[in-house]
Amino acid sequence: MTNREAEWSALLLAAMAGDGRAYARFLTVVTPVLRGIIRARGRDLGAEGQEDVVQEVLIAIHTKRHTWDQTAPLLPWLYAVTRHKVVDAFRRRGSSVHLPIDDFVEVLEAEAVPDALAARDTAVLIGQLDARSATIVRAVSLEGQSTAEVGARLDMSEGAVRVALHRAIQRMARLSKGME
Amino acid sequence: MMKTEDLIGILAADHVPPAPLRLSRIAVAVLVVMAMAVALFLWRFGIRDALGQAVQRPVVAAKTLVPLAICAVALPMTLMRMRPGLGGAPRLRLLFLPPLLVAAGLWLWAFSALPPEVRFADVSPFSLTECLGFITAMSLLPLGLLLMLMRRGASPAPAWAGALAGLSVASGVAAGYSLFCVMDSPLFYVTWYGVAILIVTALGAVLGGRLLRW
Repeated sequence: MTNREAEWSALLLAAMAGDGRAYARFLTVVTPVLRGIIRARGRDLGAEGQEDVVQEVLIAIHTKRHTWDQTAPLLPWLYAVTRHKVVDAFRRRGSSVHLPIDDFVEVLEAEAVPDALAARDTAVLIGQLDARSATIVRAVSLEGQSTAEVGARLDMSEGAVRVALHRAIQRMARLSKGME
Repeated sequence: MMKTEDLIGILAADHVPPAPLRLSRIAVAVLVVMAMAVALFLWRFGIRDALGQAVQRPVVAAKTLVPLAICAVALPMTLMRMRPGLGGAPRLRLLFLPPLLVAAGLWLWAFSALPPEVRFADVSPFSLTECLGFITAMSLLPLGLLLMLMRRGASPAPAWAGALAGLSVASGVAAGYSLFCVMDSPLFYVTWYGVAILIVTALGAVLGGRLLRW
């Protein structure tokens, strides 16, 4: 097994210095491990419910990444964020969870179950955004456009697209913790 | 919801790094507002007579120094709670012991030294309202500010973090209030400063449980 601490903290460190590719890579490598933890702990939730929790954790990592002290190890921070969101998500679904502390070092990665996810409706969270935000989020995610391309299409500056995207994510974070 | 890989695409597109969390700046901002609340109060209601002489008595000096020490421990602990993964800092918690032991010792000493009929002679509705009211009132603004600033953090235990915020602010404010207060019996000030601090701590817990969720 590779050294997750070294690899992941290097990626997030680069991301926090503005490297978007490193950030995408970081989220991509963290996700299967999150999924492995959540799948092992939350069998009652079913594949879809588990994937919802994975996404809630990813949104929390994203919106709280500035709380990582970049001079300190990453895994304890990542673990604490994950634990908080997983416990919170399970509690809201009426289920309890026990997360041992060594999960991040030990746990195996788990791939998404394609069948369960392909059938999912993409519209729930995005559908609760206003029309323009929803268009931007869809263009960036489903259509894979860059913020510059989206800006050109919607006659917005790239900066305005970024701000709108950022706000849409903050809104999704609030939605996913049931606060709106 | 959506496919997780799509979500990763969305989050990665929002990759402009957020400003880092600067705990020392938050500490300075809160301390400045606390100092301003106390300064405003002392400017309006005045410092006690002969403060310089009074504080030469250890029992009077303790009235300022004990809450100040509690604030000095509680505020860093509060701010550490904004960063997940630092734990509850169990060793730091031991630093609460010296001021608490001094406070308890002073209380017991005063209790045994004073004859029963004068022990609580200085407790009156006015003195209680003054003490509890001023400490609580002066704490509100700095506590509100601290909690607002803490929302950028990510405390795994929001109510605890809020309680610590209340403890920090109220003990700091109580230290300032002591420069006005002429109640020099530890039976009075340990008890009633303590109650005032606990009221604000409880308020912080309630507000923290709501405001610091994430």
